[in-house]
Amino acid sequence: MGYLEKDKTDALNQLKKERGIGNLASDKNPFDYHDREYGTMPQDTNRAPFQWVSEVAYKNTHRIVARGYDTTELMEEGYGMIDVLFVDYQARIPSLEEEQMASYVMIIMLEDGLSAPAAISRIVAKSKTFLTQACGASIMSFGHAFGAYSTFGNRMDSYLKKMEQENLSLEEVAKQLVAESEYDEALGISDLMLQDPTADKMIARAEKLGVAGINIKFIKAIEKAAQEKSGESLKIDLLGATGAVMQDLGFTPEATWAILSITRSFGAGAHYIEEVERGKFSRLGEDLSPKENYDGPEDRPVPPIGDREKFAKAAVCKTPQEWAERFESMKQVRGSGFSINEEVKDPSKSSGINKVGKL
Amino acid sequence: MSREPTLDRKTAISYKTEEKTVMRGYNLSDLAEEGYSFYDALFVLFQSRIPTKKEEKMLKYEMGVFLEHSMSPSAVGAIGVSAGRPNLPVCIAAAVSTFGGVHGPGAAHGYMLNKYLKRAAEEGKTVDEMAKILVDEYMDAGKPVMGMGQPQHIDSDPRAEPIHLKQEEIELEGVYLEFQRAVEKYFHARRKKDGRSYVGVNVVGSGNTALMEIGFAPNAGWCLGSVVRGFSCAAHALYNMKKGRAWGASRNEPMVQMIDLSMIKYIGPEDRIVPSQDERQEYAKKQKEEGEYKKWVI
Repeated sequence: MGYLEKDKTDALNQLKKERGIGNLASDKNPFDYHDREYGTMPQDTNRAPFQWVSEVAYKNTHRIVARGYDTTELMEEGYGMIDVLFVDYQARIPSLEEEQMASYVMIIMLEDGLSAPAAISRIVAKSKTFLTQACGASIMSFGHAFGAYSTFGNRMDSYLKKMEQENLSLEEVAKQLVAESEYDEALGISDLMLQDPTADKMIARAEKLGVAGINIKFIKAIEKAAQEKSGESLKIDLLGATGAVMQDLGFTPEATWAILSITRSFGAGAHYIEEVERGKFSRLGEDLSPKENYDGPEDRPVPPIGDREKFAKAAVCKTPQEWAERFESMKQVRGSGFSINEEVKDPSKSSGINKVGKL
Repeated sequence: MSREPTLDRKTAISYKTEEKTVMRGYNLSDLAEEGYSFYDALFVLFQSRIPTKKEEKMLKYEMGVFLEHSMSPSAVGAIGVSAGRPNLPVCIAAAVSTFGGVHGPGAAHGYMLNKYLKRAAEEGKTVDEMAKILVDEYMDAGKPVMGMGQPQHIDSDPRAEPIHLKQEEIELEGVYLEFQRAVEKYFHARRKKDGRSYVGVNVVGSGNTALMEIGFAPNAGWCLGSVVRGFSCAAHALYNMKKGRAWGASRNEPMVQMIDLSMIKYIGPEDRIVPSQDERQEYAKKQKEEGEYKKWVI
């Protein structure tokens, strides 16, 4: 389409100027509203045209190639899905032991009973959706507490870096990490697996296969530091074991996050199927929420609309003090969001931009 | 710490105690320790059984060849979502959720095969006879035959026939492969007769046939296909998050970006004056009477 011709643009702008549209002509605006183009931007011929840029894979009419390997050729040579994970995420063929270890971790991560991913999958299933929606929803349940591989792994990486830079021992940085983590959900050490040997066995298997590295050593040191500091029975948990093993297999924290959340999604798919098979679909408005679970304001009459100004109190605060008082009082209103203070990070700030596509 | 279940349900899939996690009766840790593979575990999950070595090999092949597909709706979905820099799982969820009635319609293909196999059994017809009926019924009705054709691999999907061949090589030929092969035969013959171009089998047609042959139900097969693709889509999203521009619209890049303003081609109603509130009622009435708006309704 491109921009509208100048005479038509001027005429349209003049017409709008004469009639005035709200505050759009205000001098306070950092622009002259009546000197603006219509239509879409012409195509940019000074730069290379848009293309999907990828280091991971390409395809053409006749082949699909990941990191240089034709994926059909990979399968014909006897490689499998798990090998392709190493190819996609690390651009390399894994050793047999690495493939076996990744398979081991993925078996353990496949199912976890009715925890969040399965529960969400079932709730989505009750709406009569596609299976794929339920699987997608299950992956979204992996955050920075449940399946906190990104938080866990990046913290491990940063302390290992610190160890090198400051010439500290593994034990010293482990103590620092424990002290600064406040035993949060991403520590990888907890009381969750005191009676379940799965994590211990996984680490023993990694050592037996010869794939254990610095991350397993580090999580063991963290376990020891946490036990000493808390004086409680604590052990490497599922997050700690699977996260450390996957990182020793060369996967980044984010790759681990992706791979293991997707692995659980297969299980969530089975839960979707079972929910549909055994359950019934939900209708809009069907589910009740019992009053005994409610602890908000008591039932109260809706004020007459004509009396609105008598009842209503504006949220506008004129001073920081006033603002602070309101902020604190709003913390009592559960569900308002005032009790949550989180940092929404931009992962691209720490990334390297690839400049590609010059004409 | 409270360890109450998130959802109260009776389930035949798994249970978890403080001591172990058990899926279909097997302790997951024991499965892994015994040397079973992740592929074996998927048979346990969906079919409650340990597969034969050949079946395990077939699943390994199918999932491996399906995992990566470069730029498909799933990868593009993941990359598009990543532009806003949400948490990585959101990108993957979007990618998996792109699998619907057209992109990787594994369940639809499976249901189609099952429906006609059931008819063959009920009507006493051979697989070959029923395949011709399927093709004719679909093509007479102008419906696409599931499992045929791929918009990018126009000659033939590079993964498709090799999957069929692998299934034959490892001697896992059963009623599904026989049926699918027959569907392809009659599909090609019908298109040739109609003077239409060759359209090959796609990866759903061959891959899903293999999955069903080794015992997976249509939805289980769909789950395996769509979720395994999530692995590569996550890699594409991650690449863009770590090495690409957020937003996808920077004008400082040497290449025009995904959602650069110049990428927009608009073909809707021309720019027009917003009616004032005083004019509103009359304007709205006239607009409705003239009905020109109807051609834009979606």
